[in-house]
Amino acid sequence: MSDQNEQPENWLRRELPDEVPVPVPAPAPEPPRESVTGRQRLVKGLWPPRVTRAQLIVALLLFGLGFGLAVQVASNSDSDSALRGARQEDLVRILDELDSRTQRLQDEKQGLEKQRQELQSSSDQAAEARKQTAEKERQLGILAGTVAAQGPGITMTIEDTKGTVKADMLLDAIQELRAAGAEAIQVNGVRVVANSYFTDSGKSVSVDGNKINAPYRFKVIGKPQDLEPALNIPGGVVQSVEKEQATVTVEQTDKIVVDALRQPKRPDYARSSSQ
Amino acid sequence: MIAVLGLVVGVVAGLLVRPEVPAVVEPYLPIAVVAALDAVFGGLRAMLDGIFDDKVFVVSFLSNVVVAALIVFLGDKLGVGAQLSTGVVVVLGIRIFSNAAAIRRHVFRA
Repeated sequence: MSDQNEQPENWLRRELPDEVPVPVPAPAPEPPRESVTGRQRLVKGLWPPRVTRAQLIVALLLFGLGFGLAVQVASNSDSDSALRGARQEDLVRILDELDSRTQRLQDEKQGLEKQRQELQSSSDQAAEARKQTAEKERQLGILAGTVAAQGPGITMTIEDTKGTVKADMLLDAIQELRAAGAEAIQVNGVRVVANSYFTDSGKSVSVDGNKINAPYRFKVIGKPQDLEPALNIPGGVVQSVEKEQATVTVEQTDKIVVDALRQPKRPDYARSSSQ
Repeated sequence: MIAVLGLVVGVVAGLLVRPEVPAVVEPYLPIAVVAALDAVFGGLRAMLDGIFDDKVFVVSFLSNVVVAALIVFLGDKLGVGAQLSTGVVVVLGIRIFSNAAAIRRHVFRA
């Protein structure tokens, strides 16, 4: 203002300075802001490594961050310490789940054990039944002649040199022995069973179709003290056979082996009615 | 550059040393790490914007960590620790994403 007062007549000089300041500040700040972009700043901060206070402090903080990050990741990826970072309520929940799971598995185990016990006892029963069946089979097999038998008994030998002994005499002998409690009988290697039959065939005798020749050798299992007297009673087997000029010898033995066998025959019509 | 080196050295040291995390600090460490990450992304964005200031960075870093740990601690005391730490992680995650978007705009101009 003082200039204007000193030279009020110079109108041209007075108008010039007013126009200059307007265009000058406008373009001046704009180019530098355009030229320094974020990318350039990043590169500038990265590459020439300058040790400044800001860099050191940031480095320190980032060191802390990296350290914490690595520690957390490491402790999290450790399988054994998976529970270490868990909160209390999570741990309680996990514990509850484990408890209920244990309970469930325990129940399952109990059920399976019970089942096992049942199966075992039933298999025990089956084994017992099998044992009894096998025992029964053996007993019946002795009667049916399908298994060999041994025990005390007598041996009776009928010497018949003249061929006078007939089938009915042998049958009488068998009947007498059975009546005296004979349990297993064989004649010259043929097992005598319930449906055995004796027939005459010429000078000899057939048992169940098997021809046997004298001497007739009876092997009988039973109580010897009963069997021998049964044969020797007056008018009994021994006397009637000796009447036909045959000789009979009877001897008691502690061990008779009846080992002639018969094939089991399945009946054509008769069926067991027990089942 | 020094800063990046500091981060790398920190990770390596953490992996090599494998210190036992004290039980007291254990629930707060993950949240603190996320908060620190948020501060780092904020600082990176500020640097790209050309308004980075180390004092601001230090204060925001430390306060982020402390506040995050404090919130979790408070949540644990109130019995809502799990929910509150989830909330903190969500908020910090959103901030990290927006900062990352700004950084992306600077770096890729897209």
